[in-house]
Amino acid sequence: MAAPDPDRLTELGRKLDAIQTRQAAGARRAPPSQSNIAFRFATELFAGVVGGGGIGWGLDWLCGRFGFHTRPVLMLVFFVLGMAAGIRNVMRAAKEINAEIANGRSDKETGS
Amino acid sequence: MNLNPMEQFAVKPLVAEPVLHIGAHPIYFTNQSLLMVIVAVASALFLTLAVKPNRLVPTRSQSMAEVSYEFVANMIHSATGEDGLKFFPFVFTLFMFVLCSNFFGMVPGSFTVTSQIAVTLALACLVILLVIVTGFIKHGIGFLKLFVPHAPWYLLILLIPIEVISFLTRPISLSVRLFANMLAGHTMLAVFGGFVVALGSAGGALKILSVAPMLLIVAIMLLELLVAFLQAYVFAILTCIYLNEALHLHDHH
Repeated sequence: MAAPDPDRLTELGRKLDAIQTRQAAGARRAPPSQSNIAFRFATELFAGVVGGGGIGWGLDWLCGRFGFHTRPVLMLVFFVLGMAAGIRNVMRAAKEINAEIANGRSDKETGS
Repeated sequence: MNLNPMEQFAVKPLVAEPVLHIGAHPIYFTNQSLLMVIVAVASALFLTLAVKPNRLVPTRSQSMAEVSYEFVANMIHSATGEDGLKFFPFVFTLFMFVLCSNFFGMVPGSFTVTSQIAVTLALACLVILLVIVTGFIKHGIGFLKLFVPHAPWYLLILLIPIEVISFLTRPISLSVRLFANMLAGHTMLAVFGGFVVALGSAGGALKILSVAPMLLIVAIMLLELLVAFLQAYVFAILTCIYLNEALHLHDHH
């Protein structure tokens, strides 16, 4: 077997790298479908409310065990905080999706 | 014949005797446990046997294993960067388990493990525990800075609890998304299956009409295959995103 030509090897390595970066860009491209986005927002909001209310309920229970009768004050407070957290999560998800879509668009525009 | 579309999600013990007791709680070996064992064993066996011959030109099964490996590796790399690849075994196992459970659930007569909130919530809690542990190991007490947004101090009193709750509710949104998608899809399939039976037994011209829901089931089945993959992907990519936040605090701001 002949010794491999170093020039050809580096050329091959360069080509492989180019393919890899192109693939990496392509993998990120597909933006989520509309129903997926809607479902994501709905679950984020739902999780915030349920999680917040649940944490408050748990804290109430805990306080009850130590003899403080806070029920249902903490649950109400955390329910409202949970709503805020849910909306915070929705905003964050929207930001992520926007970035994803912008990514895909700029890739298409440069024609890579 | 039972036409209740929710009947397929019933968890039934397969052995009458409890396998073990935790405290006073009897633990049964259910149809769900059986499917989970099948999924875990099947995916592990497939992945090890497929790459066993280790050919340079891969066979069909070997390239399936290689493609799934590369898919997850690329996903982690793009979402968390180089140092996220340490978590490859965890994310890959999680992805394969969810994917295989979804696909095994598509087999008529089997059981969809991921349509149980107990399973998905346990997986999501595992993810969030890993995120917390990673964050504290990597940044020590500084990990708590994740919960402090850039804002004046009087707003922080309100914002820090909100950030903490929004972090703690992540396992809920992660698990509910997977669970609700699988539950909705399989319920829809069962409902349309019920239409076929109802129209078929109606007699007369209605009998011919029963072909319509049958065709619809085929279409929904295809859609469900897509959802099965997509939800496994979403579960894995969100795991990566959460890990990324624990690894690189506030980089996304």
